[in-house]
Amino acid sequence: MNKVFVVAIVKDVPAEEYNQYLPPMKSRRMGKLQRRALVTALKAMDISGIDVPNAILNGTALGCMDHTIKLLQGLHEEGEVVSMPTSFMQSTHNTVAAQIAIYTHNHGYNTTYAHRAISFECALHDAFLQMKAGRLRTALVCVNDELTDFQQAHPGYFGHIEVEDRSEAWMLSVEPGEHPLFEIENVEIIHEPGAEDRAVIHKKL
Amino acid sequence: MSRRVVVTGYGVVSALGVGAEENAQALMRGLSGIGEVRYLPTEHHEFPVGEVKLSNEALRLQLGIPDGQPCSRTFLLGTMALREALDHAHLRNHPHLALVSGTTVGGMDVTEQHYPNPLPASEMDIHDCGASTQAMADYFGLFDYASTVSTACSSAMNAMILGKLLIETGERDIVVAGGAEALSLFHLNGFKSLMILDEQPCRPFDKQRRGLNLGEGAAFLVLEDEELAHRRGADIFAVLSGTGNACDAFHQTASSEDGEGAFQAMRKALQDAGLSPEQIDYVNAHGTGTPNNDASESAALRRVFSGKVPPVSSTKSYTGHTTSASGSIESVFCLLSMRHGFLPFQKEFENIDEQCITPLSGNECPRGEWRHLMCNSFGFGGNDSSIILSRYE
Repeated sequence: MNKVFVVAIVKDVPAEEYNQYLPPMKSRRMGKLQRRALVTALKAMDISGIDVPNAILNGTALGCMDHTIKLLQGLHEEGEVVSMPTSFMQSTHNTVAAQIAIYTHNHGYNTTYAHRAISFECALHDAFLQMKAGRLRTALVCVNDELTDFQQAHPGYFGHIEVEDRSEAWMLSVEPGEHPLFEIENVEIIHEPGAEDRAVIHKKL
Repeated sequence: MSRRVVVTGYGVVSALGVGAEENAQALMRGLSGIGEVRYLPTEHHEFPVGEVKLSNEALRLQLGIPDGQPCSRTFLLGTMALREALDHAHLRNHPHLALVSGTTVGGMDVTEQHYPNPLPASEMDIHDCGASTQAMADYFGLFDYASTVSTACSSAMNAMILGKLLIETGERDIVVAGGAEALSLFHLNGFKSLMILDEQPCRPFDKQRRGLNLGEGAAFLVLEDEELAHRRGADIFAVLSGTGNACDAFHQTASSEDGEGAFQAMRKALQDAGLSPEQIDYVNAHGTGTPNNDASESAALRRVFSGKVPPVSSTKSYTGHTTSASGSIESVFCLLSMRHGFLPFQKEFENIDEQCITPLSGNECPRGEWRHLMCNSFGFGGNDSSIILSRYE
């Protein structure tokens, strides 16, 4: 059984750092979340020195809400004559993980979990099990959600889940490297009827 | 070393009917479920769809869900298929089950009826993907693990891939995996915006193909550790022998010309199953009917099978493209092929396209005993997956 180490965690990359990782020309068509998610992932690859992780996994409670709401608004205002290909294309939950793979030409395992508040832990659980079993040596596990103006004005409209406006990327490796942050010993996903699903990440420092 | 994963039950709801038996009969007789829209409140009657021929009220009645209890159509379709799968595997009194469901639409059908007006308080917690999975799990009260995959049209297949991993690594003994997706105005108009909907019944791999027809439905497979299945005397219908997931890493909605993602997904599934390409008896293709998908998938199939491509068909010519649910619905169709000894021939195929493989067509199903069937499921973002279901021997 392999051990699974977290070798880099990146979150809240300041906007002034974006250009270091992503030339503005290449991101001008991306939405805010896509750009932030991609920069966060690229920085995690950069500081871990793992440019081509074996897998890219993302967790997102609600997916790309900016584009989702644009299309809903379009349907509301124009009715069914609406034509918004870009918003539709970028509204699906897997846009972010796919974007990271497209930008870095990564053909490895790629998936997205959308399981409310524990979407990230679901993604982490998948990567952890594959790494422990020796099927992956490295994996980038991210969490990305955005809070649009509409959501802030209408709390709970898309579900009573606490959605944080955040992009975070963890680089996992079966090799501890020089400065591992911690080892993941287990990830527990718990469903109890009638209660909100919970998850626990067991870390060994 | 790793545990073998067998299929001990399944359930399906599609435009072809409710339950495995109705779906098998329609496939064997070549009866398509695609037609004019009836239940989705859309103006777009020009686009044929593969709707499940039951209203939400009828689905509620069958499931005993009172009118006052808010729920999405995705939940209703999913719960129907899940109930059949659990009954089929004799698990209705078996606690500690895991549920992994794939969906993208989730409760959008409800949200879009209200937006931007306030949602009734009771309907505020059914929009997101995970909500439909939690609600399905709670309907039965047998699950202590639930997770939701959302990789667009390959969601259900990636849910099954996680299911196999959970069992092989000893994390879980039984995982019910699949997906559910209802039609919504949101994605009908989304696909319309991309101009890939056909105004005729879809014609996968045909030179005249113009796009896809949307469909809806749900299917779940009971995946189980082989030893546990023996211990509890369960019927074993197949082995989930191989799975593969790869990213095309080309474009958010278009597939690469050489089908690299699809190629790698199929090759990984073969490696995982320990099979060589010539051992595959049939491929249930992703085959949406869009010019781009079918050409790309054909290129990938030719690469994987070195030119000697086994019989292929796309059952989307019967059900429409059931998006997130397609991977599990079409996996159930493979199980039905194995069980009843037939291969589904493709509807609506007339003109050979040199860019594409030529699918099984005609008016009669080839009959035989199949050992290894491959099923492909690809999604936006190049999220390509493939699995192999093998006869249990």
